[in-house]
Amino acid sequence: MAAGFKIAEPLEYHRSFLKENCRPDGRELSEFRTTTLNIGSISTADGSALVKVGNTTVMCGIKVELTNPLVEAPGKGFIVPNVDLPPLCSSRFRPGPPGEQAQAASQFIADVIESSEVIQTEDLCIERGKLCWVLYCDMMCVDYDGNVLDACIIALLAALKNTKLPEVTINKDTGAPEVNLEKRKGLNIRKHPVGASFCVFDDSILIVDPTAEEEGLSTSHLTVVTDEKERLCVVHKPGGTPLSAEKLQECIGRATARQREIQKLVDKVIHSVKTAQ
Amino acid sequence: MMEVCGSTNVSLREFGCEQTLLSRPDGSASFVQGDTSVIAAVYGPAEVKVSKEIYDRATLEVLIQPKVGLPSVRERSQEQCVRETCEASLLLTLHPRSSLTLVLQLIHDDGSRLACFLNAACMALMDAGLPMSCLFCGVTCAINADSEIITDPTAAQEKESRALMTFAIDSKEQRVMMSYTKGSFSVHELQQCIAVSQKASENIFQFYRDSVRRRYSKNL
Amino acid sequence: MPDCFPHAVTFPFLCTTMPTDTKRVRGPEVSQSPTLFLCKHVAVLPSHGRRADGRQRDQVDVRPVFVRCGLVSQAKGSAYIEAGNTKLMCCVYGPREMERKDETDMKCGKLTTDMRFAPFSCLERGSWIQGSQDKDLSLMLHESLQPAVCLHKYPRSQIEVNVMVLENSGSVLAHAVTCASLALADAGIEMYDLVLGCSIRQNGASYVVDPSYMEENSCSSVSSENQGGLTVAFLPSLNQISGLQSDGEMNEETLTAGVRTCIEGCYKLYPVIQQALTKAVRRAAPPPSES
Repeated sequence: MAAGFKIAEPLEYHRSFLKENCRPDGRELSEFRTTTLNIGSISTADGSALVKVGNTTVMCGIKVELTNPLVEAPGKGFIVPNVDLPPLCSSRFRPGPPGEQAQAASQFIADVIESSEVIQTEDLCIERGKLCWVLYCDMMCVDYDGNVLDACIIALLAALKNTKLPEVTINKDTGAPEVNLEKRKGLNIRKHPVGASFCVFDDSILIVDPTAEEEGLSTSHLTVVTDEKERLCVVHKPGGTPLSAEKLQECIGRATARQREIQKLVDKVIHSVKTAQ
Repeated sequence: MMEVCGSTNVSLREFGCEQTLLSRPDGSASFVQGDTSVIAAVYGPAEVKVSKEIYDRATLEVLIQPKVGLPSVRERSQEQCVRETCEASLLLTLHPRSSLTLVLQLIHDDGSRLACFLNAACMALMDAGLPMSCLFCGVTCAINADSEIITDPTAAQEKESRALMTFAIDSKEQRVMMSYTKGSFSVHELQQCIAVSQKASENIFQFYRDSVRRRYSKNL
Repeated sequence: MPDCFPHAVTFPFLCTTMPTDTKRVRGPEVSQSPTLFLCKHVAVLPSHGRRADGRQRDQVDVRPVFVRCGLVSQAKGSAYIEAGNTKLMCCVYGPREMERKDETDMKCGKLTTDMRFAPFSCLERGSWIQGSQDKDLSLMLHESLQPAVCLHKYPRSQIEVNVMVLENSGSVLAHAVTCASLALADAGIEMYDLVLGCSIRQNGASYVVDPSYMEENSCSSVSSENQGGLTVAFLPSLNQISGLQSDGEMNEETLTAGVRTCIEGCYKLYPVIQQALTKAVRRAAPPPSES
């Protein structure tokens, strides 16, 4: 009976739960799904992380390459973040070039990197005007069950913390770079941005960490990204029904709490990887 | 039919708007904020592709064309912002299984372009006579190095700023419909910027009203 | 190694006009993998004796595999396989209505396969756009799976098989076949049999089973005869071969011996796959309690 009701009247089905201040999967309105993190599982990448937020799974792999810096910015390297939502992760995505959602997510991650200054591109310069690193950060969604943005940020942050740049010296005689893959150095992570996503149901009820189903039924989305100094990096609300100032304040409070939780998780996993080595 | 609004206490640049300037679309408008200029065109309600059909409401598509070159990932993200803002204010359920297309062409970019896109979109939707539950406007605020808030910044001011926020404000309760930010800022600064934007929105809605009134007083 | 690199403004040999990709965040026009500028060269793989990872040469010594079904919540069926460092994931969607109505077949369903590599899966960063290698592999995967699926039971519908290679450490096609058949079974698609894949790399008189990426791509200069790779897709309980792909040059005896070796490799894999499947079925429908 309940299963039939869920399919025929999904919105009513969700409303009947929200009325009792809970959600169909048993969570409270302001409860995140269990978040698990696995770091460094891909040996072909220079840094990698696998994040699971409930069912949503995102894998971030970072590959570093050498390039020439731009003439306008001779002392800066590059960070190239891209989010991929392949047809593998959900039946809603079609094969072919990235759709609107994947493109908007890529731009969002690029904004997070730029606004939070998680890495300064100056740190990626090897020799001014001649040689620098480019970090290709590819976030691949493997299982799409909503709130892919939060998962992408965590995956990116953890993978960046896992990335080790090989040592490069420039040969004085030939001027050619020489790479030593054995000697590697970690990146300088300056900030720890973490996102928290929210959905608004019926213009009034606020829920955190929506599943794919909840995302589809809600009337508006909001993602707040904060760093460890409780500064806001991104407050992204792509339209939808209006939100009052009090609700927004509530979201920011939840986001700062989430930042602390996730930073602790990332540090714990990084530490456990180090001690295991 | 060019109208101009002077800047009041919250300093906005000179605004200008012209509706129905294109003959082919069902609604069109140009919007000028200082040197930033955008033309918007609305087509529809029209027949929809089967793959994009939604059974209980109209499908809205927003296309942003940059001044030169092809639209990139940044335009796609702005399209999403404009589309979802329009979807929230339009009464799309009145036109089920039909399509609406909004094309925004950037003519010149001198800062606050997302805000200008939103304003042009709203004027064009109005011109097309589509039923809406409320109007909306876009306001951009920049926080400069001295922590001063500048509304409707120019491109140079945007470049110098440490944080940049664009909000869409609705005309009914002046709440935030859309927010798009860059740079890092404190919670207090965010609240200040929202308050300033809400104040600025009054001026913009007044400008909307004046320009529409003037237009119809001439036509009638 | 291009020694002019830091002086030159760009990489001249890469400066072909590429169509600009407007659907992704773009980086610099060209960049190169640091592996091209290594100061000391990587040790050459041993050509006799034990293999680099300690496995036996000339014997059916496959890497231990880890398999798991039903990891992806959104898919009808899914499977994950890990063999050494090779990591693959496969999701099956469908059967559902044909996407292109004009291709609808009233008698028989359609199997579509899509295999791609994550950009970070190979030693050198792959491009975002699916290359010809991915398309070739997709096609071979399709041909290996099709004979095993009872497509006549799914008229007017399509079954989608998506494979993502998360890490490529050799024998990708063979493991993709195994993984895909497992995902199909997990999705409850009717099949005549499972399909198992195994590959070998022939190097002169000796061969290695389930080669790693380095073994696949290394070429010893000892002899030019009998150099090649072979991948076999095998239906174990029907004892039939559904797909065979070989490249390089091998004489008749070597090839038949190779096929036999691959089949033997498949049988080694069989119990592990069966176990994973029974585990998944048991989880989906727990056996009735005795009370």
